[in-house]
Amino acid sequence: MPDERKPKKSPYTADRNMPGAFEGETVTRRRFMTATVHGAGAVAASAFALPALAFALGPVFTRQKFDWQLVGNVTDFPTDTYIPRVVAIVAGIGEAGKSTVYMRRRNPAFDKDKPDQYNRIIAISTRCMHLGCPVRYVEAAERFICPCHGGVYDFTGQRTGGPPVRPLDRFYTEIRNGNEVWVGPRYSVNSELHRFSPRDPGEDTDGIGQYLYPARFSTPKK
Amino acid sequence: MNQAEKEQYLREYNILKSQGKPFFPYAVAKDSIMAVFVLVVIIVLSIILGAELGPKADPTTTTYVPRPEWYFFFLFEVLRVVKPPALTPFATIGVPTIAMILLFLLPFYDRSPERRPERRPIATTAGILTIAAMAYLTFLGASAGSPNQVDLKAPKDLHGTALAQFNAGKLVVGQSGCLACHKIGENGNDGPGPELTHVARDVPQNAIAQTLRNPTAPMPSFKRLATQQPQKFKALVFFLGQLK
Amino acid sequence: MRLLPPIPDRLKPAPKRPGTAAPQKPLELVQEAGISAVDWIDERTSLSGGLRWLLFRKVPKGTNWFYTLGSATLFAFLSQAVTGVFLAMYYRPDVAGGAYESVRYITNYAFLGEFVRGMHKWGSSVMVILVFLHMARTFFFGAYKYPRELNWVIGVTLLILTMVMSFTGYLLPFDQRAYWATIVGVNINGTGPLIGPYLSDFLRAGPEFGATTLSRFYAIHMLLVPGLIAALVGAHLYLVAKLGTTAPPWLKAEHKEPELEAKAKA
Repeated sequence: MPDERKPKKSPYTADRNMPGAFEGETVTRRRFMTATVHGAGAVAASAFALPALAFALGPVFTRQKFDWQLVGNVTDFPTDTYIPRVVAIVAGIGEAGKSTVYMRRRNPAFDKDKPDQYNRIIAISTRCMHLGCPVRYVEAAERFICPCHGGVYDFTGQRTGGPPVRPLDRFYTEIRNGNEVWVGPRYSVNSELHRFSPRDPGEDTDGIGQYLYPARFSTPKK
Repeated sequence: MNQAEKEQYLREYNILKSQGKPFFPYAVAKDSIMAVFVLVVIIVLSIILGAELGPKADPTTTTYVPRPEWYFFFLFEVLRVVKPPALTPFATIGVPTIAMILLFLLPFYDRSPERRPERRPIATTAGILTIAAMAYLTFLGASAGSPNQVDLKAPKDLHGTALAQFNAGKLVVGQSGCLACHKIGENGNDGPGPELTHVARDVPQNAIAQTLRNPTAPMPSFKRLATQQPQKFKALVFFLGQLK
Repeated sequence: MRLLPPIPDRLKPAPKRPGTAAPQKPLELVQEAGISAVDWIDERTSLSGGLRWLLFRKVPKGTNWFYTLGSATLFAFLSQAVTGVFLAMYYRPDVAGGAYESVRYITNYAFLGEFVRGMHKWGSSVMVILVFLHMARTFFFGAYKYPRELNWVIGVTLLILTMVMSFTGYLLPFDQRAYWATIVGVNINGTGPLIGPYLSDFLRAGPEFGATTLSRFYAIHMLLVPGLIAALVGAHLYLVAKLGTTAPPWLKAEHKEPELEAKAKA
């Protein structure tokens, strides 16, 4: 609460009889020094904090590269069941960067999505789309089954039970030189098998979900 | 709490404090004994249970059954029981965030001056219910089995080949992923398929076999198993036929 | 110095009586040396006032064993800090096999390795239990109410940081359990709308579990969060000492003692 008994000080240094005051000057020596403390302090703090923060945040904005990998011949892959193949999704860290992909040839009896050069071989990721546990293809039941929270997917990777929010992710595949099967980066799909850039598990790709969980800057492109 | 209640509290507290004893050594003595007790517990746990190191991390596995550390079991169970995909973000982020905000703001919405637990029925009940719910969820999470394994005792009247057949069928049920959609006793998920704990009470054995061959969608057909591995299929049907 | 609690009588040095001889026995000389060393420090730091304030303040009547849960939590944290420092002497946060191998070395070959790692592992469980018990005590005794609201908020922050510690520490042995629990944990973060995907990228240092994920978790686990915890524990303890520990809620002050009331008011 301002003390009303005190006479109000003039903002002008000249009016307050300060030695060496200029006409119209309002910044006193004290105010100048205070501003210097705040300004220099902010500059000094941001000089180490901002680069460090940017350094830590860097990977969020760095696009990763993906090397296409040869995984076999077209005839290796059946049309009515899956066989597992191991693909390196992160290079240079050995076993820790690999992942299992379930693969088969495209079968028009099941696969109703638009055929193009990337889905002549179907490659399904083994990461559960609930929270990323390792799913297993159970041949007797023709289902992908997650051991964690009860996710179940049918033969084409569509969810049939449990909490997963979207169908199993897939990998781009290409048939090169006649019969070599190459596997590229992962992509996500929605329930109509429209392609999306790779999302993390638990992120819906249908309806409002595709806007709530935007594409990232770091995921590799095909 | 209004100003008068605040002053009243501070006054009473100061009296109680002036009647108390110095922190050192009276309270510190209790603290030190407790500290020794805590350390003894840690050391005994360490000596008896050791520090287990599992197999090396293998991102390519398709058979590993991940389970969290015990103090995250309640969260694990919440994620397991919330089945509709639309509610998944609610279970993963929503519930914990709301719980944390409620916890943070507790002193700001519970402003009554009363401190005795028996005179704060709402707070005390809510606290006890929270603890009970967490304990129950932890218990459920701890007892959640693998979907690839059935943990069920054979009926007592089964002997010899019948018992072997029962156990073989149990194995097939585990391997075939039935538990992903069906509940059998304490095992498996409750839905989307019907519970099979007492399936043989209403359905005769040959009807079970018929259903396995020609099920209604989304249940997969086991026709291929029946033609390619009839032994396994027979065991599966026999096992399900014993669930009374 | 009226505000400071009194020093207990036996700690007050008796004034020298005239005619007392200067100390001769070795024990007396050692005592004398100790006193003068403490005096030397106190003359330059004035720490004794703070120590008096901290140690000889009164705790209310009726303080019981429930009130040791907070200090027990602090003790468990100290035990974690010490065992953690020594584990860090052997541990290598190398995702391409080194991490698992170093933990295997600690567990199977290092002298007392399994014991120290066991203490760290079980100490974390004990600390989590103690945090929850301490919080339950505070809740049921209504100790979060005026004037201790801020201390409750700091305490909840410490609870969250403790959970972050157990989550980040969980990955470090890099066995199957560790790896998959971390995958699930990071993906739980990712389900936060809008910022979730970027938060996961930040935690993993990339779109997948990669080369620097482990060292990132290690830095958070052993530098960032322990620093925050230590600072907040300091604030928590300062407020405890300043506001005083609560009295058990069923204790009522006896108003019939006017001189005590007057003393408290003064």
